Amino acid sequence: MIGAVLGAGSGLVNTRVPSAFSAVAEGITLVVLLSEFAMLRAPLSRSQIRLYSFQSLAVTALAAYVAAARGIPDLYILAALSLGLKVIVVPFVILRLLDDARVELVASNRLSVATMTLLAIGLAVFAIFVLGSLPVHSHSLPAAAFGLSAAVILVAFLLVIVRSDVVSQAVGFFSLENGVSVASLVVAAGLPLVVEVAFLFDLLVAVVVFGVLMRVHHGRTDTLSTEILDKLKG
Amino acid sequence: MTGTQLSQPVIQIGQDLTILVFAPGVSGAIAQIEARFQGRRGPRILQPYYDLAKLFRKETLVPEDASWVFLAGPVVAFMCYLVVPLLIPVLTTYGLPLGYMGDILGGGFILALAGFSVAIAAAETNAPYAQLGSSRAMTFSALIEPSILFITFSVALITTTDLPYAEAAAARSSFAAVVRPAHLLAALAFFLVVLNDTGRIPVETHSSTLEFGMIDEARTLEHSGAALALLKWGSNMKQLILYVLLINVFVAPWGLAGSRQPSAVGLAVVTFLGKALLVGFVFTLIDNSFSKLRLFKITEFMAAAFLLAVLAVLVLFLGGGA
Repeated sequence: MIGAVLGAGSGLVNTRVPSAFSAVAEGITLVVLLSEFAMLRAPLSRSQIRLYSFQSLAVTALAAYVAAARGIPDLYILAALSLGLKVIVVPFVILRLLDDARVELVASNRLSVATMTLLAIGLAVFAIFVLGSLPVHSHSLPAAAFGLSAAVILVAFLLVIVRSDVVSQAVGFFSLENGVSVASLVVAAGLPLVVEVAFLFDLLVAVVVFGVLMRVHHGRTDTLSTEILDKLKG
Repeated sequence: MTGTQLSQPVIQIGQDLTILVFAPGVSGAIAQIEARFQGRRGPRILQPYYDLAKLFRKETLVPEDASWVFLAGPVVAFMCYLVVPLLIPVLTTYGLPLGYMGDILGGGFILALAGFSVAIAAAETNAPYAQLGSSRAMTFSALIEPSILFITFSVALITTTDLPYAEAAAARSSFAAVVRPAHLLAALAFFLVVLNDTGRIPVETHSSTLEFGMIDEARTLEHSGAALALLKWGSNMKQLILYVLLINVFVAPWGLAGSRQPSAVGLAVVTFLGKALLVGFVFTLIDNSFSKLRLFKITEFMAAAFLLAVLAVLVLFLGGGA
């Protein structure tokens, strides 16, 4: 009887196997989410920035993959821009700023790593279930990617909240933009290019603002930690 | 289908014998690889067999305070490691008669029973190191338990059963089934679980007696003679069993025998050993390229495994299987 249930092997397989396209697309989105988790945990500012660069690379790859598989040539331009800006220029600028600051290690965890990870898992579950219940049908990406992009955004918020140094907060903000990029790929992959590019230039403004913030903060307090901001200087 | 066919019970015994006979050899080969990484010549590949032969000839000493549990522990553990290969796809793609006695949880229970009996035998001795080892080992296996549960859930959601054969068949069915995120995440999480259970987590110095990183090795310190031989052999078998689960269920369920012909089964043994050595190579590479952490950093490792396993279940819920 058991043999009949299990049959020759093919009968065992769940028929709801996704298409190869959506499997790969979701896989790349998951890489984006996992690198967000890695940023949350990364002890060194430098490794956080490298992780941000890696995450941006995953977003670029996702845009290029959707462009190729779904035939949306506009997305190639977006991918090229994001490769140039988010993978190379922004991390390079922030790393240069760090070099000037000469601060190697900012111990800024307000919570232990395991607690942070559990909190972040909770947020991700929340995001995925809330957005999973929305009737979003996208022709460019599987709807699951939408929930995952929201999880990226919420975990980025958590990163900004629980880490108390300027670099983490900048990187958290930038990676939040990565989450928004993925979400925009899901809901509006055919969005006019102008709008997409406007997003990217928003990021450039943020880079300038955070760059100034880092320099001024470090110049005044000789540290990148934000713990002492509530102390008055006499 | 021509030529002689092996009967199913014979193949099933063959699975057991594969694990029993080759486990020390695989451990020896991995020790050799590890030695090369560290710039040593290392022991012979067959050294574990010589060690076992020597230990079986030696007398068995029992501490004064210990009861019969001290001697029963290693035997029970060894029996458990003999039962598990009956339940998992070591050599064949098709299920063997006894293969459906237990699912992944059943196999997990038997492995846990083995760990428990070794720990309780060590706790019998009143020796501080053995007790430290068994206490640490039990703590860590409890910490990794949630990840194992979520991996089981994701297998259950993918295949609608939780038989290891079904998961392997699902992975073989198409390219999309291999690259689907749920499968990749579950496989990665299980990889971390195996890393933990074979003593290669970044807080543990496996195969040495340094107090700070001593977990699995410490448990056997008080045993001697045949009991120690059974423990060593058992831990080699446990490692190979976990490799079977990792390779033939999650990562690379290809190259298994699809028929009952002796040549196909024989080829499956050779392929499996090749894959096991490859996995052992990857594990030693990881083990030797990361610096060891403080013992209490272990929660970070466990949190990572848990994260991957939870995400595997989540994406399954999200995309209705995607």
